[in-house]
Amino acid sequence: MNKTRMLLFRLGTLAILVAIAAVMMVVGRGHTVYLDNKKLEYQGQEYKTPYKVVVLVKGEQVAKLYDRERGSATNVGQNFEMTLEITQEKGGDETVATYQIKLPYNMDGVIINLPGYLAGLPEEAYLTEFVSTAPEEPEAEEEIPESDEFEMGEF
Amino acid sequence: MKEKNMGKKLLSLLQANSVPVTFVLICAVCIPLSGLSVSYLLNEIVTRMGRNIFLILALLIPIMSGMGLNFGMTLGAMAGEIALIFVSDWQIWGIPGVVLAMILSIPISVLLGAFCGKILNMAKGREMITSYIISFFTNGLYQLVVLYMMGPIIPIKHFSIKLPRGYGIRNTVSLLNMRQCLDNLLAIKVGGVKIPVLTFLIIALLCLFIVWFRRTKLGQDMRAVGQDMNVARDAGINVERTRIISIVMSTVLAGFGMVIYLQNMGNIATYSSHSQIGMFCIAALLVGGASVEKASIGNVFLGVVLFHTMFIVAPKAGAAITGDSMIGEYFRVFVSYAVITVALIMYETKKRKVKSQMAQQLAQEQEAENE
Amino acid sequence: MNEILMDKNNLTLGNRLRAFAASFGLPRLIIAAFLLLLFIAAPFVGADFWTQISNTINRFSWNAILVLAMVPMIHSGCGLNFGLPLGIISGLLGATLSIEFGFTGPISFVMAVAIATPIAILLGALYGWLLNKIKGGEMMIATYVGFSSVSFMCMMWLLLPYHSPTMVWGFAGKGLRTTISLEGFYDKVLANFLQVNIGNLSIPTGTLLFFALLAFGMWAFLHTKTGTAMTAVGSNPTFAKAAGVNVDKTRLLSVVLSTWLAAIGILVYEQGFGFIQLYMAPFYMALPAVSAILIGGASVNKATIANVIIGTFLFQGIVTMTPTVMNNMIHMDMSEVIRVVASQGMILYALTRKTEAAK
Repeated sequence: MNKTRMLLFRLGTLAILVAIAAVMMVVGRGHTVYLDNKKLEYQGQEYKTPYKVVVLVKGEQVAKLYDRERGSATNVGQNFEMTLEITQEKGGDETVATYQIKLPYNMDGVIINLPGYLAGLPEEAYLTEFVSTAPEEPEAEEEIPESDEFEMGEF
Repeated sequence: MKEKNMGKKLLSLLQANSVPVTFVLICAVCIPLSGLSVSYLLNEIVTRMGRNIFLILALLIPIMSGMGLNFGMTLGAMAGEIALIFVSDWQIWGIPGVVLAMILSIPISVLLGAFCGKILNMAKGREMITSYIISFFTNGLYQLVVLYMMGPIIPIKHFSIKLPRGYGIRNTVSLLNMRQCLDNLLAIKVGGVKIPVLTFLIIALLCLFIVWFRRTKLGQDMRAVGQDMNVARDAGINVERTRIISIVMSTVLAGFGMVIYLQNMGNIATYSSHSQIGMFCIAALLVGGASVEKASIGNVFLGVVLFHTMFIVAPKAGAAITGDSMIGEYFRVFVSYAVITVALIMYETKKRKVKSQMAQQLAQEQEAENE
Repeated sequence: MNEILMDKNNLTLGNRLRAFAASFGLPRLIIAAFLLLLFIAAPFVGADFWTQISNTINRFSWNAILVLAMVPMIHSGCGLNFGLPLGIISGLLGATLSIEFGFTGPISFVMAVAIATPIAILLGALYGWLLNKIKGGEMMIATYVGFSSVSFMCMMWLLLPYHSPTMVWGFAGKGLRTTISLEGFYDKVLANFLQVNIGNLSIPTGTLLFFALLAFGMWAFLHTKTGTAMTAVGSNPTFAKAAGVNVDKTRLLSVVLSTWLAAIGILVYEQGFGFIQLYMAPFYMALPAVSAILIGGASVNKATIANVIIGTFLFQGIVTMTPTVMNNMIHMDMSEVIRVVASQGMILYALTRKTEAAK
């Protein structure tokens, strides 16, 4: 009896830990979201950019985008919530609205095309993965320290 | 008469706490010389307390079970680092990242701890030197895993972590996305000093756990094993198993501690973060007045404050005295080693004294029987 | 009678091999086999066999005396001398003082030895006195005595009033440099003596002879009355005491000897290497020496001159061969990892032997 209880207890702990780990992996996944205010062509149609978009995330302004500009924000988790203050024409009125976007788990960097998104296009149209185009800097091979060399380090 | 008694008491008290007292003196001399402001000093000390206390607490359990200073806590530190490398590659940020790293470090720590415990059981009576060598040995294995296997065998995706050659991890892994996330959550400022409340809460929790653990059956067993292995074995305690558990616990806690330590630092020095951690933690504990066979939570706190005050002010004070900042750097290293040396010498001489006393007692008893 | 004969016949080859492995020590066997493999593989991967052999012999000649320094303390039961850096520091003091006093050429080596000797004897005596106070816990304390002394000397190298322009930092005019070139002093002074060069093979005869001299001296010493007394103290202190041997004095002598050999050892190492390395350099120098003698077949309380020679050769062989062979074979320089795992593994193996733990 005691042994089975012990076993159950252990399995339970293990299950809880695994569950927490799984939750953490989903909840803590960080993404960098790039917001593009760029003209988009999709299935032969053209989606025009608004004059100016101010992006707020968690009440803080992260970008102010005119035509063909890109801003970025970081987000932890897959639910990206942003508030957009859109000015369609120069001198025109502002419309404020809050949007929620589901980010795909596997993408570190996500590009969202705002005109496409605002026009209500399907995900594949407005959402692309950000791939770093910066060339790998030709770094010199890093020196690996000898294992048993004395190193003070910071403590 | 009374005064004399008081004086005697004071003297014996000073003698019993000679190491902390010496450190108070060193600090008292060095602080004014260093010219550092009080608020800077306080800030630094509080930060370092949050950063290091958890790690040092990991040393208490093996001391309880009579296995001395666990130089093998480096193994836990390595487990924590490996876990953090994964978390950083998977891009888990913030507190979830810290929690995930802690959970991930558990299986690695348990494995390494069990290995360490098994070997220490084969080297009873010379646990410390053996655990010290184990830490070097495991460092070799760590390099094998991190420098050669990560990439081709263990998948690592990001080139910000991987070496340009395609395998192995870079010298430093940035933890920018979880930097001080524990410390900053719930942090409060008191007179310009930032207090990482959450980190201290976690530390308090661990202290409570240790206090509680001492009273459990397992904790009692460990103390019995620490006092006398043979007596404990006669009492029906599985000595080997208890010792292994004690090392495993210490390693797991050290793994957690390393995660806390590194989230504060904000980056991992992949091949050197762990190498000196055991030595510094042990030195800090001993400065707090602990010995090889006895250490309390109070020793940990006092030790961290004194040791780190010395650590912060020594370079500046050294520069002020000799005009060379390196002197202070070397001085603090020297002091760390000297403290450990002195503590080990005191422990061994005491052990010998007790042994010879027991032998004398035995001889007297035998004589009495013969008569 | 018959049964015994039967038993003997039953000893299959496998059993015999197993018995051999047990007596020789499995890790040792693996290391020896590994080195053999390296030597066999070397020509196939384009490494010149004779160059490799030369390198190995060369490095052997640098390190052998440091390994020899392990012998006396193992004999007297003080265990593995993890406090080797203390002796090394005596040697470094001798080396730097000899240059400071203006000696050059081969004579600077002689003077370095002459200056290092009294320092080593003094420090060794203090160290031995300490180790007598803490019998049973020698190895751990030795380790930390070594560390403390190295870090103490780090301050001293900066503070001591050295002035020789070849040694101090140029811009500050004080404080010793981290590495000091021995050119013009005793660089290769032993190695060049009677050096043999045949094709790619070169043998530093002088250094080897110097080692042979010391090794023979050690061997002879161990066969004197004091030497046998030392062995007796190591193997059975109670018995030795009963036989009228002064245990503490004998142990002290062994520690002094070990420290002195370490001082000479580092000087010989420097003359081969061509540089004096100060500050943190001596820090971990004990570990290679310890693992070398263990690889050679010594244990925590038993060591012979043969162990020293075999062990140093095997260890230095692996150190020199693995980088070239591994690099050429798999284009990955894993030599560092292999060296660490093999040497530390060997020390661990020795520390965990049951028979020796019972003290």
